[in-house]
Amino acid sequence: MPTTTASAVCTTVGNNILLRLTSGERDVKLKALRELKNQIIGNRTKKLSFLKLGAVPAVAGILSDAVSAVDVADNDENDRIVKDIIVQSAAVLGSFACGFEAGVRAVLDAGADILIQRGCLVEEMPLLKSYMEVVDAGARSLKMIYQSKMAPKYDFLQEENMEFLLSLLNNESENVSGLGASIISHSCKTSLEQKLLFDAGVLKRLTSLLGGSLIQRDASLESIATIFKNNPEVVSQFVGPDTGRTLSCIIEIVKDRFARTRLLASLCLIVIRNASPCYLQDVGIKTKLINNLLELLDDPGRVGDEASFAFSSLIAEKEDMQKLAFEVNGVDKLYNHLQKGSLHPRRFEGILLALADMCSKLECCRSRCLSLQVLKLVVDALAHDSSDVRSAACMCLRSVSRSIKNLSAGSFMNETIVIPLVRLLDDTSTAVQVAALGAISNIVVDFTTRRSTFIRLGGVKLLVQLSKSMDSTIRLNALRALRNLIFLAEDKCKEEIFMELTASLLASLICDPEPSVQEQALALVRNLVDGRINSVEYIFAEDGIILDAVGRQLRIASKAEIEIQGMYVLGNVATGKESHKEAVMDQLLLRAENKAQSCIIKFLQSNDSRLRTAAVWAVLNLTCSSSPGSSGRLVKLHDAGIVSHVKNMVNDPCLDVKLRVKTALEQFNSFDDSLV
Amino acid sequence: MPVRVAESSAPSQVSGAHSEESSPPICSLLTVGQAFSGTQNVSNLQKEEAWRVNVRIQGCDLEHGYLCGTMEALNVPMADTPVVTFWEGEIVDAKNYTFYTGKWEATPEDDIRHWTKFPSFAPLLSRVEADGGKSLDLSNYPYIFMRWKEQYFVNVGTDCGLTIAGFYYVCFSCSDGSINGFYYDPNSSPFQKLELKCANEGRSGFSFSSYELQ
Repeated sequence: MPTTTASAVCTTVGNNILLRLTSGERDVKLKALRELKNQIIGNRTKKLSFLKLGAVPAVAGILSDAVSAVDVADNDENDRIVKDIIVQSAAVLGSFACGFEAGVRAVLDAGADILIQRGCLVEEMPLLKSYMEVVDAGARSLKMIYQSKMAPKYDFLQEENMEFLLSLLNNESENVSGLGASIISHSCKTSLEQKLLFDAGVLKRLTSLLGGSLIQRDASLESIATIFKNNPEVVSQFVGPDTGRTLSCIIEIVKDRFARTRLLASLCLIVIRNASPCYLQDVGIKTKLINNLLELLDDPGRVGDEASFAFSSLIAEKEDMQKLAFEVNGVDKLYNHLQKGSLHPRRFEGILLALADMCSKLECCRSRCLSLQVLKLVVDALAHDSSDVRSAACMCLRSVSRSIKNLSAGSFMNETIVIPLVRLLDDTSTAVQVAALGAISNIVVDFTTRRSTFIRLGGVKLLVQLSKSMDSTIRLNALRALRNLIFLAEDKCKEEIFMELTASLLASLICDPEPSVQEQALALVRNLVDGRINSVEYIFAEDGIILDAVGRQLRIASKAEIEIQGMYVLGNVATGKESHKEAVMDQLLLRAENKAQSCIIKFLQSNDSRLRTAAVWAVLNLTCSSSPGSSGRLVKLHDAGIVSHVKNMVNDPCLDVKLRVKTALEQFNSFDDSLV
Repeated sequence: MPVRVAESSAPSQVSGAHSEESSPPICSLLTVGQAFSGTQNVSNLQKEEAWRVNVRIQGCDLEHGYLCGTMEALNVPMADTPVVTFWEGEIVDAKNYTFYTGKWEATPEDDIRHWTKFPSFAPLLSRVEADGGKSLDLSNYPYIFMRWKEQYFVNVGTDCGLTIAGFYYVCFSCSDGSINGFYYDPNSSPFQKLELKCANEGRSGFSFSSYELQ
């Protein structure tokens, strides 16, 4: 005996409701609206079904007709039904938009947001009897729309829009004032908008809402945070007799019984503190915030998921906050949450990022992580389905591997860590690749002989491949890793890396369109030619194309960081044999187009003491007294005006430069006086 | 890393001078990758002995007054191979660390007794005695003072007959990269001297490499 399927029933019911929505009878229409509302409320599947049946445009049409039908002269009964239709259709549309992006899209496509605003919220309503019901229904619905990123941007720059917003905020209804606050949270993005809102006096009203209902309090906290975010100017203007009261009020709310409110209050204080660190300096408040957020991690829902992100924004880049958090066992608490397993990806990501921030500057945090064996869980996360989690795991590893003590001990250069990391170099997500490159950059700074592990596992091949990427961020980070890998590397290791890289690739990277890539390529060559003296030969491979590229970059570069690396390359080569030193001389004495003098003179006069130091070292190495050709080179340097520039630096303000110049002058004087 | 031997020592007094306040200069000879070689005197009452020592700087974080590296002792009688240790340094910068150790069984008197063994410390003595040197301006001083503490043996077991219980008082000369140090361990012979020079490892001149942690 055939039976109808559930979806067929749904379609039948759905079609029935939609049919009745088109009825000419207002009662029938109203009943259908109520049924539709009850069907879809909290039910994503039914929302989708009714969406497919075209419910949204149908209801939007009903709302439009009802608004037009509002007529002062009409009788009370009809008026009541029309108002009810407006309320119910607004509620249905709001429900479609609630937490359902496809619903938001459909509502916006039908222009229903504008309909609701005009129909429900404009001040001139013909009849006052059910005014608040309509206004409330409209406000609730619009609020749901404004909770979505897809909601239209509210233009605060239009005067009438600002006036309307203020009228919403000043309304006694928590839904209406809540809508005003939601609009601010959703649409206020720029510092200009923040300033406009601040100047319009919205903060006063928002502050008073802090003492209102739960909805008003939460909405107000979010809005206040939005207005202050990253805007020290607005925060500083906040100073006044009201400031202390508002801040105290928010600090009190940090202890609220509702978890979401506690989180929002914490976020608000964090935003204020980050924008203007002179506020909330008290250790008690800082500790309270830290402890509050760590406790909020216990919340099983979205609040718990978001608490770790709030924690990160509280401590990121701030060593004092990280120290405080460490002292209240922050690392252990985060680790305990990690251990729970089967974490929602958002929560997993947040906790990993929080640990990454904890370990970003403090060795004590890194040590604690290592002793708790956090890395086991972090390494597992490298293979997670979510790319955000994989990225976060890489960032955590990157932070922990800033521990030079552990890099020296070779704690990270083992297959358990290297294999999954190297795998991520091939990840489908660029963000994950970049994050993995960051971790690898640190891990390869290994002072044991375990770099070969990385090479054996295919790491170098992948890094070299990535250094040819079209994406400059990938190229840059791959080069960073290679540079660190080559630092103090053994001969065999260097040889393998160089064979993979090739002289022509290195030369082209030195001339890369991106200055930061050029800088890293030069730093890599600097490391390549350091070490045993035969390493200098690498720069002469393929008819010296690398050396030529270095010389060329030095003659045209204008960024100090590039010039510094380039000078150290030449300085390092100048510690080699006579032929190496002569090759450096040739590069230095080559003039750039339209330039009267060697580039090294410009470097000796640089405002950057690091560059002056690098330049003097090159001169020192070229005129080293133990080398037979030094006197000849000294004459050439003198004739090029370089020696006199060095002599002029005898009172350089930088001690390091001054000491090198002193040594250089002693060196010059050790040759025959007549030379210089 | 000397052998354990009983000891005794006496303090010495020196006069000093003044200055303002800051941190040590960045010196290109005290950077990662730099190598130093020389000797560690491990003489005691019974015999004169010195080991050849190589040091390499592996990490440097001036912001936190931190330095680290390895120390390799060659021709150590009780070892078959060179003995390598990993050490961490505290840079006396008046911000992170002062001349007073405050740990490792070193009293302020021990500190002064050791620092005054460095001629370059003489001008600083009176200020150090007054406030540990917190108000000193070391930014233009051509010497960097440090304490180096060995943390673990890299290539041998702890039963190798050597101790790393003590630490070194170190003075680094910014002008030529030479290092002098005195080992302090209440259970070892006093003032065992470390003398190192900047090594250019077969090159004519000085070569520099670097890494950058992300």
